[in-house]
Amino acid sequence: MISIRSLEFYYRPGEFRLDIPEFSVTKGEKVAVIGPSGSGKTTLLNLIAGIMTPLKGTVSVGDIQVSGLDDRERRDFRITNIGFVFQDFELLDYLNVLDNVLHPFRITGALTLDREARSRATNLAQDMGIGDKLKRNSNDLSHGEKQRVAICRALLSQPKLILADEATGNLDPDNKGLILDLLFQSVEDHGTTLLAVTHDYELLKRFDRVVDFQQFEGHDK
Amino acid sequence: MLDTFYIAWRYVSFNKIKTATLVACVTLISFLPLSLQLLLEESERQLMSRAVSTPLVVGAKGSSLDLVMNTLYFDDEVPELITVAASNRVMDTDLALPIPVYARFQARGNPIVGTTLDYFDFRGLKIAQGRQLAVLGDCVLGAKVAETLGLEPGDSLVSSPETLFDLAGIYPLKMKVVGVLEKSHTSDDLAVFVDLKTAWVIQGLGHGHEDVTKLRDPTLVLKRTEKNVAATAKLYHHNEITEKNIDSFHFHGDLAQYPITAVIAVPHDDKSGTILRGRYLSQEETRQIVRPEDVIDGLLQNIFRIKNVLDAVISVVALATILAIILVFALSLRLRQREIQTVFKLGCRRATIARLLTAEIFIIVIMSGVFCGAMVFLVNQLSNDLVRMLFIR
Amino acid sequence: MEYWSNGKGLTSSMRMQNIISVSKGLAFVCFSVVTIASLMLFSTATADESEKLTIYVVNYPLQYFAERIAVEHARVVFPAPADVDPAYWMPDEKTISEYQRADLILLNGANYAKWLNKVSLPRFRMVNTSAAFKDRYIETAEILTHSHGAEGEHGHEALAFTTWIDFSLAAEQAEAIAKALSRTRPALRDTFQKNYEELKRELLKLDRDIKEVVSKEQSRVLVVSHPVYDYFARSYGLNIRSVHWEPDEIPTTAQMVELHTILKDHQAKWMIWEGEPAKEAVERLKTIGIQSVVFDPCGNAPNQGDFMSVMRQNIENLKEVFPQSRW
Repeated sequence: MISIRSLEFYYRPGEFRLDIPEFSVTKGEKVAVIGPSGSGKTTLLNLIAGIMTPLKGTVSVGDIQVSGLDDRERRDFRITNIGFVFQDFELLDYLNVLDNVLHPFRITGALTLDREARSRATNLAQDMGIGDKLKRNSNDLSHGEKQRVAICRALLSQPKLILADEATGNLDPDNKGLILDLLFQSVEDHGTTLLAVTHDYELLKRFDRVVDFQQFEGHDK
Repeated sequence: MLDTFYIAWRYVSFNKIKTATLVACVTLISFLPLSLQLLLEESERQLMSRAVSTPLVVGAKGSSLDLVMNTLYFDDEVPELITVAASNRVMDTDLALPIPVYARFQARGNPIVGTTLDYFDFRGLKIAQGRQLAVLGDCVLGAKVAETLGLEPGDSLVSSPETLFDLAGIYPLKMKVVGVLEKSHTSDDLAVFVDLKTAWVIQGLGHGHEDVTKLRDPTLVLKRTEKNVAATAKLYHHNEITEKNIDSFHFHGDLAQYPITAVIAVPHDDKSGTILRGRYLSQEETRQIVRPEDVIDGLLQNIFRIKNVLDAVISVVALATILAIILVFALSLRLRQREIQTVFKLGCRRATIARLLTAEIFIIVIMSGVFCGAMVFLVNQLSNDLVRMLFIR
Repeated sequence: MEYWSNGKGLTSSMRMQNIISVSKGLAFVCFSVVTIASLMLFSTATADESEKLTIYVVNYPLQYFAERIAVEHARVVFPAPADVDPAYWMPDEKTISEYQRADLILLNGANYAKWLNKVSLPRFRMVNTSAAFKDRYIETAEILTHSHGAEGEHGHEALAFTTWIDFSLAAEQAEAIAKALSRTRPALRDTFQKNYEELKRELLKLDRDIKEVVSKEQSRVLVVSHPVYDYFARSYGLNIRSVHWEPDEIPTTAQMVELHTILKDHQAKWMIWEGEPAKEAVERLKTIGIQSVVFDPCGNAPNQGDFMSVMRQNIENLKEVFPQSRW
């Protein structure tokens, strides 16, 4: 699913630099990425999602060489193929739960908000245990509930890949496991690949593979 | 597009206070110049139409503006008085028909206009209720006066003393309301019309009392000669004219010397009007003759000069408001940086982000437009009354 | 045209025929409407011109003059009751509003109608028939005026108002009426002028007749029952003094004393009454050597006859007073 070759990236010369000779994730795999803060884990996710482009090397997701697309193509690619789950949930406080889930469909022409999509959204919410909260404002939810909304949003477009950046970072211990279970269940149900950046070492054993980012020369030289 | 507006609407309706403030600012800054323009246009229309319909006014020399404002709009500023002789003079020229006007007194805050029946024909005023003036002491109310005071034919209305503490001055006269006029949407709606002679009775120039020549009470008689009996100030003057006492009402002195405030002169044709005006050009002339249209035109020129200054001030305020609104948006954008980053990460195109923000502005502008439109519509509907209340009598 | 069916209804020629018929019908209707409308307009226009004027007057002489001049072109109304002195009459509200609606209001002038100062009338439609000779009004000293305070103005000097019994002035009043009528109905100017000329001739004949009657005895001293003969006296050079006696009343002792006082330096032998005097009054006067004669000013409508016949009778009556005339 993900294939990275000879990747080189830095923000400014002489500063933090990411060098990844080779990195890959197979379809359906659930991979955790660990490493110290500032090692470039989030940067890796951004490169895979096409939010940034490498200075050298290639980044491919499925058959698409993301690093070779222009900005507009990368945005379209991202919104249709990748689902994001953030540490701070990143929900819009002025939208209710349902609208937050449907949000990606409203901000791009690449996705069509039809009856089928709405029905899928409702079903996803039911599966996540928030089916009765669709009309509630997202501000009124607990952290755990917010993250479920975020997961629904990420899954609605039936992406090939879910990128989770510290998805359990802001959750209490009870919710961490629960959310991860829900996430895993969903990706397994939909055959989605999962790449998750995490600091929660207790949860690592649930993943198929753990990648230690320290193996990549991501430190300041 | 619909989705963009949907999200924009959700944002705008969630942030009620911010939205309300922005809408209020934009509404006000649009409403002010528009409503001012409307009111000024309506003022101009009212002032000019009234002025154009009044061909010439004769009055004492002095402020032509005071003369016109008092004669046409029954303004509180009473010009210097002239006499009925001025009206007779116009009549004698055979160039115009004179309508004397005596707009000096008030009744419960409304101007009392003493005039002749010809005034009503001239202004096209029709009786809506009751009848026209007939006898001394009758009064006919303008539509608005009747409405405000809740009076109808058969009721009474007392004139107000000119000054509160002038015990020897203008006594109140209890007038009989005999008619109410149809609405004319002019200053006539706000006036109390009486016969000129009734106005003189209000002033005390005409009065009614017992037959002085038959008085028995010696304290009422000051001096008695073969030809004349002089009464003292103790003699009671009727303060109401009734069927029983009307015969006792009379006027002392020559009526031609009785006071009026102005004469509306209606020339037979333009040439007669020009000739008539020429008769008042001499240096020794103590009267002036003015064309209200010219006087009001001059007034409006001044008003519009002031308006230009006001426009400039409003423009500066508008600019400041717009800059403030831009600042609010810019700050709002900064505060929403995170949201923008999120949608960017999700894969939203740059154009879509721009559209979302534009849609929010558009909604605010539309809402302001609707409010502004409604307020302007309201002002337009009420402009007639508003102008008379605020600018003219 | 019989209906021929070609399976589709009327033929095209029949359709054309129908169209022509309908058009003719429409044209006729339009023409009729236009004609009727024009006629109505025209008749309205002529009706305006031929519509009678409504004229209200303040005394009978004016009514007579107006009727003589306007003839069938005006309805002249004098609403005062027959038994009142019009100068002191006060119309009611209804009558006042009738005056207000009149096309013309003819006034005598010289403060004749006392009620005018107490009512509202449209000035533009009022005509002061004696305006042309207002510089010749006669002021009379009222019996007693009043004023207020030491410096107050007196009741203004009364004016004598029976102008019409100076027949030259009556002719001027008639002229003012004719002019007012002509201004209001310019198309009838010639008619009014012609009628006025005729009336004027008659009035001036009256004027000449009186002058002839009094010509030889102008110095004759007379008393009159009421101060209504000022213009008459001035015009015809009569030497008169006035009392205030009502024709239908017997003079009181006070009134007789007043007469005696007058007679001391005004030795009249004749009393001119404004109406038929009471027999007793006539007898009383006879006892002091005064004869009675009637000269009716005719301010109100006479029981019999009209203005002219009353004046002619008045002149006949005067011949008794001036027997030395060639009459």
